Amino acid sequence: MSEPKREKFIVPIGPQHPALKEPGNFEFTVDGEIVTDAAVRLGFVHRGIEKACEVRNYTQDMYLLERICGICSHVHATAFVLGVEKLAGIQAPPRAEAIRVLAAELERIHSHFLWLGVAAHEAGFDTLFMYAWRDREVVMDILETLSGSRVHYSVNVLGGVKIDVDEKLSDLIKKDMDFLEERTEYYMKVVTTDDTFIGRTRGIGTLSKERAEVLGAVGPTVRASGVKRDVRVNSPYSGYKEFPVKMITDETGDLEARFIVRLKELYESYRIIKEILEKIQPGELVTRIKRKIPEGEVISRVEAPRGELFYYIKSNGTEIPERVKVRTPSLCNWGTIMDVAVGHKLADMPMLLVGIDPCFSCNDRMVEVRSNSQKPQIMNWDGLRNYGIEYYR
Amino acid sequence: METSEILESGKIILEKWIESSSTPEENRLDIWVTIENFKPVVQSIVENHWGYLITITGLDVPPLFDEEKKEIQSGQLEALYHFANEAAIITIRVKVPYSKPQIESICDLIPSATIYEREVIELFGFDLLNTPNTDKLVLPDSWPEGVYPMRKTFTNLQVLENTTKEQPDE
Repeated sequence: MSEPKREKFIVPIGPQHPALKEPGNFEFTVDGEIVTDAAVRLGFVHRGIEKACEVRNYTQDMYLLERICGICSHVHATAFVLGVEKLAGIQAPPRAEAIRVLAAELERIHSHFLWLGVAAHEAGFDTLFMYAWRDREVVMDILETLSGSRVHYSVNVLGGVKIDVDEKLSDLIKKDMDFLEERTEYYMKVVTTDDTFIGRTRGIGTLSKERAEVLGAVGPTVRASGVKRDVRVNSPYSGYKEFPVKMITDETGDLEARFIVRLKELYESYRIIKEILEKIQPGELVTRIKRKIPEGEVISRVEAPRGELFYYIKSNGTEIPERVKVRTPSLCNWGTIMDVAVGHKLADMPMLLVGIDPCFSCNDRMVEVRSNSQKPQIMNWDGLRNYGIEYYR
Repeated sequence: METSEILESGKIILEKWIESSSTPEENRLDIWVTIENFKPVVQSIVENHWGYLITITGLDVPPLFDEEKKEIQSGQLEALYHFANEAAIITIRVKVPYSKPQIESICDLIPSATIYEREVIELFGFDLLNTPNTDKLVLPDSWPEGVYPMRKTFTNLQVLENTTKEQPDE
């Protein structure tokens, strides 16, 4: 007796999605409800920034690179600036390095809160989404007071920083950190005790330690699987030498662990921010740097909210770099989705995708359920999200 | 383990294949290997669990001409495979000529490399042998064959427009 021929159903998700950040296209092959294969197609917002860097000088590049990401803009500029400073053989003053860390940790807080909100929304938990984004405004306000901008803070200049914290601002930030700590306590309680929420996260998308290492995943995604990989700890840069952070890991590797790791990282951020504000020494903010950067190659790695951010800069001795290569953390984490998705239900896909905190834009993306016997069934991202929520109701 | 010790352990693993090496920063080791030895090098890194692949960087080394416009060095592509182990970074470097830009794919050893391989294929024009997927990753599907935007010769989109216009005649 021969098996009936089984057709593959491919569910494309994406690429269009105007509401959030970045469009991406995924194709999930399904057998009934279970995903059997997954593929990714990127590049819908490819702007050729690496190429553009080769015709601009180092200062212009710093501002250009900051615009790679609308969430973690500061880490991009920091990675680039640290690399260029290494090539030029100069060191930013200690106060500047501390302020860089301060901005980086504030950015991490706002990024993790943003993610918490998005993840809660995809799970159909809109109250948590509203709460998280309301609290995120606290840190956005701090960033605006600090730098004058909510998104592209432009804290860095080559050789230092251009903003400073005074006594008044420092008191305000400390008070806000206490408030956010209290809120995080509450969110921690929700994500670890709420039954409906746990139903969507516990035991879902489990990534084993071995797989995570093989796939080269980074950031909270890999730390939730128990791999000790955090550039701030493994290879302290900038102010992290003076203000060390503790690495947060979890052993289970499922979606719940990723929630826990990110929330615990928030506590660490509050602690480090308060420590910096306590201990920061008065001093210079900028070291002079020549416009022409000596010939050489440098690798600069920093820990962005989503994981390791990698910069390779090659200088040819002029004012313009020969080559700038950027590898963002989301790129290595896509691989984990393609791996983990297999064997899961289609209804779990929104949460799985959100689990790695990708820079992707995803509210109204087209989903087409193809089948030979039926007419194509077209869903948008909202439809898929509702499908997921209904499935678990 | 200290960074220098980690680096040293990596160097011991790769000892027999090293053509030349340099230490541009104290936590880095750059190793040039021949194209034949490239695959065994990566294999031994993977088998010894020395770190993870960060990414593949492509470099374009344009041809050099003398005063009479005679080619003194032909154009080359260089691929840099960065591996990180805590703070230590080993970069495996291979150079291939424009005329035969072939490198063995490492996807069978490191599955996640596919995304980086697709990137260097379409942006630099590397030819990665036996790579599982050569679909476009970042460039549009309509991008013309043989135009590699990250090569130094590609300076503006004008080039692209001309190529697209020529297509109907072919």
